[in-house]
Amino acid sequence: MENVQSQSAQTRYDKGHLAQRSSNQRNGAMKSDEPNPLADELAQLMMQVANNRCKTSFAKLFSHFAPKINSFGVQRLSQQGLAMDLVQETMSRVWTKAHLYNADKAAVSTWVFTVMRNQCFDMLRKVQHNREDAFGDDIWPLFESDDAENNDDDFLLSASLLQHVEELPPLQRQVVQGIYMQELTQQELADKLNIPIGTVKSRLRLGLEKLKSFMEKHYD
Amino acid sequence: MINYHPDQHLLSLHAKGELPLSMSIAISAHAEFCQHCQQQLDQMTIALSEQQFEQADAKNTAAFEKHGEFDDLLSQFLSSTLDTLDTDVRLANNSTSQPESTDNSVTIKGQHYALPRVFKKQINASWQGIGKVSRLRLDTGEPQARASLLHIAANGEIPDHTHKGSELTLLLAGEFSDCYNTYKPGDFMLLDQDHEHSPKTTEGCLCYTIVDAPLYFTKGISKLLNPIGDLLY
Ligand SMILES: [Zn+2]
Repeated sequence: MENVQSQSAQTRYDKGHLAQRSSNQRNGAMKSDEPNPLADELAQLMMQVANNRCKTSFAKLFSHFAPKINSFGVQRLSQQGLAMDLVQETMSRVWTKAHLYNADKAAVSTWVFTVMRNQCFDMLRKVQHNREDAFGDDIWPLFESDDAENNDDDFLLSASLLQHVEELPPLQRQVVQGIYMQELTQQELADKLNIPIGTVKSRLRLGLEKLKSFMEKHYD
Repeated sequence: MINYHPDQHLLSLHAKGELPLSMSIAISAHAEFCQHCQQQLDQMTIALSEQQFEQADAKNTAAFEKHGEFDDLLSQFLSSTLDTLDTDVRLANNSTSQPESTDNSVTIKGQHYALPRVFKKQINASWQGIGKVSRLRLDTGEPQARASLLHIAANGEIPDHTHKGSELTLLLAGEFSDCYNTYKPGDFMLLDQDHEHSPKTTEGCLCYTIVDAPLYFTKGISKLLNPIGDLLY
């Protein structure tokens, strides 16, 4: 006898509000050029969270990922309470790091998997060795821009890029020009503009990301 | 040209996050040298993530047994957690906390070495050693394994030795040879206890090593150690 209530919950959480990939799509999963409606929808939701801090989109991502993160956590951490902690920690990072997600580098699923695995690694160390040392993100870079400072130097060398600096919003332009044209250090620039160095860093990152997307739009 | 790589089994455990810290560091550092293994790891991670997140999971009973808990957690996120997280991020950006050190280099006997990214939290300890051989112990908190950076100055060698458990050597800089071969930066050598060897170097070298870890490396942590068991016994 089917239990109606659990069936509806199953539908709701196993599928979230999103389509699952059909099995024939799955067989060709490594080909990135094949249409993948689920991946596209997840990417849209991430954009909404990153750019507009959209809570409705976050709720949809949560409904899709939370039960699956939980089942990973149950296998790996062998304790229900810890598995829910893993859900909470992973989804918190999805919210706070959404702006670092780069759709060109990885599917949303892969990015969330990386965040979850890294978090799970740190939680296991805490449980097994009583260590709070958070090595996960050093061991597995997040397919994104945490190491952007190194890569960005390279792509900034291309002169064509600097043509687009004028198109940046004023606050980001100011920081990008200060660092790359006047060659100020981040600290010098922070002092000069009388803003915290963290703000310099985040404006710089946003500006560089925008420049990168200009480049991709114009030269793809 | 790197000739020695971690095997498929180790790469796949690494992609899953199932290796202990000492071994995870070794694979991560090797992958920074080795495009080939990095690509394999990326492919494995993509496959794992699709399996975990994009396929209907028939046996995911937790999904309906625990729907109330998920609902509660989501409501909590929407009503307060997300706003709190944003406030925390803003406060962190505004505080003038010192930026995280990004210096991944060590200096030993006048030689300066840039290290793979993964070592950046680990290299604050001091070097100890006799003669041409110096060692910097890394504190991984794992009683089963001893992880170190090992420096051998030019024309140095390590006396003949065998190991009780396995020994992992990842060459980070310079070169060395043993009776089997000559090794280049990035080479990843996992020797079991029956091997006997005495590495020699003419130009000097820097390695990452893990020693004395019987059976510790090559099994996933979740199989080897039950975290709950660890707490109980
Ligand atoms: Zn390799």
